[in-house]
Amino acid sequence: MTVRETNPSFMNGVPELLILRLLQHEEMYGYEIVQAIHSLTDTVISVGEGVVYPVLHALEREGALKSRRKTVNGRSRIYYAVTPAGLHRFADLSATWTNLAAVIQKMLTGGQYGEAIP
Amino acid sequence: MAKPFHELRERLLRAGVAPRHVRRYLTELADHLTDLIAEEERAGRSQADAEAEALARLGGMDDLAKAMIERRQFQSWCVRAPWAAFGLAPLFVLVGAYVIACFYLWCGWRIFLPGADTPFGSPTGQIYGFFGFATIYFQIGKLYYYSAPILVGWGIGLVAARQRLKMVWPLAGLFLIACMGATAQIHASRTAVRGGLGHISMDFFTLGFFAQEFFTSLLHAVAIVLFAALPYLFWRLQKTYSLSV
Repeated sequence: MTVRETNPSFMNGVPELLILRLLQHEEMYGYEIVQAIHSLTDTVISVGEGVVYPVLHALEREGALKSRRKTVNGRSRIYYAVTPAGLHRFADLSATWTNLAAVIQKMLTGGQYGEAIP
Repeated sequence: MAKPFHELRERLLRAGVAPRHVRRYLTELADHLTDLIAEEERAGRSQADAEAEALARLGGMDDLAKAMIERRQFQSWCVRAPWAAFGLAPLFVLVGAYVIACFYLWCGWRIFLPGADTPFGSPTGQIYGFFGFATIYFQIGKLYYYSAPILVGWGIGLVAARQRLKMVWPLAGLFLIACMGATAQIHASRTAVRGGLGHISMDFFTLGFFAQEFFTSLLHAVAIVLFAALPYLFWRLQKTYSLSV
């Protein structure tokens, strides 16, 4: 399946938010994370699958994620899990995005500034 | 390593991404690619089609490289602060090596030459008539002392080669190491401190007043640069040759 990649200009901070959300309850490895993002966003959000790793590594360096190598079915993989610092980061990012989305929605659907932009 | 990953590795290293981050990134990309190929094959594609589709899904070379390069936290210190990596760090390492050499010399002095004024032997060059283990001990120390700048130089070459750096900074580091190694002087005196414990000190970057001393230091510096730079220059030549054929 080939999907059109999401415009990178709109993606700033989105991969971090989605990854932190996905890893809140269970640890996952890179391929699983990408498949979960595709599945949960109905492939609306799609980027080159490999670019998820720099995001994961950066989050790990910042202390938001921790990783461990685990062998499953004979394959050695690096599993990622969220840390308490990562949970705080997710809460901040989530609040920012919720506010932003609400404001943009308001702009698009009208409100005190008048008619919605068609 | 698969060709696309080989190219990606060279690109990332040349852009200054630290080798350990590059290694981990490529390992995970390779694992991911294996999973994608398996998924595509399960969907009924031939092996060749599955590989092509999996590579496309993984992302283009430019995207994969850019995603890593644009994050400054993955940059190597050799690229972020080459003056520190090739200027200061080797000097500190060499000083550390010389501290070990001085301690080794001091121990030999205490053990094998407890009554001697210096650990360097008699004016005729004999080590006070000691043979056997004592001679071996001091010769090992001498070998370590003279090879320390060369070993540090090899370290510089190794770091530069791993990071695919241009020659300017590694050569600057080698030049500094050679100057420090060639002008290093050890002084030892039993009477300098109370209790006859023996005192060893070193100084660096001091040139002799006489022409002969100057030329001896110069020759020593050239020898250090040549021996230290040899593996790195050989690696560069090999790399250039392998690219041109």
